[in-house]
Amino acid sequence: MISDKVLARLKTAAELPDLSGTRYRIVDQIGRGGMGVVYLADDVELGRSVAIKVLDDAQEARVLAGLEHPGIVPVHDAGVLPDGRRYYAMKLVRGARLDVVLEKTPHLPDRLRIFQKICEPVAFAHSRGVVHRDLKPSNIMVGEFGEVLVLDWGAPGVGTPQFMAPEQASGEVDGRADVFALGKILEIVIGINAAKPLASICRRAMESDPARRYAGPLELSADIAAWLDHMPVSAHRESVGERLVRFGSRNRTLLALLVAYLILRLIVIFWLGR
Amino acid sequence: MDADTQIGGANARFPDTHPSVISAAASDDAARRRPGQEALIAAYWKPVYRYIRIRWRCSNEDAKDLTQGFFTAAIEKGFFEAYDARKGAFRTFLRVCLDRFLSNSRKSASRQKRSGELIEVDGDSPERIFEREWTRSVFEDAVVELRANFQKRGRGLAFAVFERYDLAESPESYDHLASEFGISPAAVTNYLASARRELRKLVLERVRGVTSGDREFRCEARAILK
Amino acid sequence: MGKFWFAVVVGAALGVVDGLTSWFTPAVRAQLAGIVVGSTFKGAIAGAIAGWFAKKVNSVPLGILVGLIAGLLLAWGVAAMQHGYYFEIMLPGSLVGAIAGYAGQKRQDVRISS
Repeated sequence: MISDKVLARLKTAAELPDLSGTRYRIVDQIGRGGMGVVYLADDVELGRSVAIKVLDDAQEARVLAGLEHPGIVPVHDAGVLPDGRRYYAMKLVRGARLDVVLEKTPHLPDRLRIFQKICEPVAFAHSRGVVHRDLKPSNIMVGEFGEVLVLDWGAPGVGTPQFMAPEQASGEVDGRADVFALGKILEIVIGINAAKPLASICRRAMESDPARRYAGPLELSADIAAWLDHMPVSAHRESVGERLVRFGSRNRTLLALLVAYLILRLIVIFWLGR
Repeated sequence: MDADTQIGGANARFPDTHPSVISAAASDDAARRRPGQEALIAAYWKPVYRYIRIRWRCSNEDAKDLTQGFFTAAIEKGFFEAYDARKGAFRTFLRVCLDRFLSNSRKSASRQKRSGELIEVDGDSPERIFEREWTRSVFEDAVVELRANFQKRGRGLAFAVFERYDLAESPESYDHLASEFGISPAAVTNYLASARRELRKLVLERVRGVTSGDREFRCEARAILK
Repeated sequence: MGKFWFAVVVGAALGVVDGLTSWFTPAVRAQLAGIVVGSTFKGAIAGAIAGWFAKKVNSVPLGILVGLIAGLLLAWGVAAMQHGYYFEIMLPGSLVGAIAGYAGQKRQDVRISS
């Protein structure tokens, strides 16, 4: 009988891609995503480290190769393994996953700016007719210089239940399914007890009816930008009180000067005027 | 277009027309049904037996009896016919049948002092236990077949290296094995690669044999290699 | 309206308001009209200085400072003529200038380049 330990090793071994005919040498397994396993490998010809993803299906490689954007991980190379599986070599992203980065970023505007950077590559892909369909924090990396990369594109069918738009179950999806997932991610970014306008933005992104959501990631990002600038948010109808507060925070200096004037005036009237 | 057939095309190395033993075991044609049932039982005997021993804490003898009893009941009562591929993996279906059979056989109290009591193994659900034992038996059978294949093709050395590295509890380094076998470390790498490639093929063939369609096959293949 | 005139208008408007608040000081209530007129001019001139500065230098803190000082000096001048009420006139007066300075800095000049 095979022991548990040996069984685990055999499972990994049977899965290892045989890259002996290529210029890549597997170093270690770094993760599992979408429709395949990701390995850290050395490119012996160019002398650099790459990430190798092994797939059962060629779709994802072709999808990715057609997308060139700073937020989308570049595909260097692709091929077929002896056992028939396909692989592609892509830039090794050195950085941390989104959930880890968010834990280390307590300041809300910074978190929101990171979120806005996620919207850009997704919008770009939509403009090229590609929907991600599996957006979630574990598919988003933040590099050492603050660059945001979205991974695991084009995973067909299988999403992650927590982040899946309702219409994904029936298979008829367009870019707004990604908007839904972005809303779920935003929910995590803003945390509990978030400001009402932000909660409204989230809610609008996560409407069950796609027609009621933001049309795309850029519209969502624009509303976030509005909130950061103390401008009105399209998803939220503000009360008079909220509007005044917003005006105040947008014009802090003016408010301070007016208050100072008022205080001085009152002092002059009541104290010096006796 | 059905995504399955599209992806099946890219994976042309696995013949789509592979006869599923599950549909055979459920067929009305007796000539197909018997071999189908036998194949299923052969594939699942060990996992079922081990599952019973682990989860129900039975002795070797009791577990064997119950395993036999289960498969007998399966044939007599037509469990395999009741399986609906749309509702999930066959493996899960079988386990659920097994659980039901076992709890019923407990209730027929005459055997109470011999069969064990039901214990939840810490942290592992029945589903995981069964999956693990099934995985184990698939790999064991594949390794046996691998050994036979390699011997037949005169590649005994390759298998020996594989056995010493991948099948060992605490394997030695490549260099150590290389000097032990009197070959280069590069040869060690090559032998391992080819043995692993063959093992993967055999494992997937077995999974193919007991799944009832492309989607289930892909699910099970992913589960077994995770 | 460019930076200069905007600051002047703001200074004048604030000057009116500031002048009117002297109604709350009974002692000077009788001279309300004169105070309001004087305060308006004071604000306008402080605004003019701050507005002129805003056209030369683009800096909100400095603009506020210049307005503040201009307002202060003008108010001191007025207070000297009144022989009294220095604090009452200078303190709020300086802030009128400061706000006019801020307004001048924030106002966008529309430049027509050929």
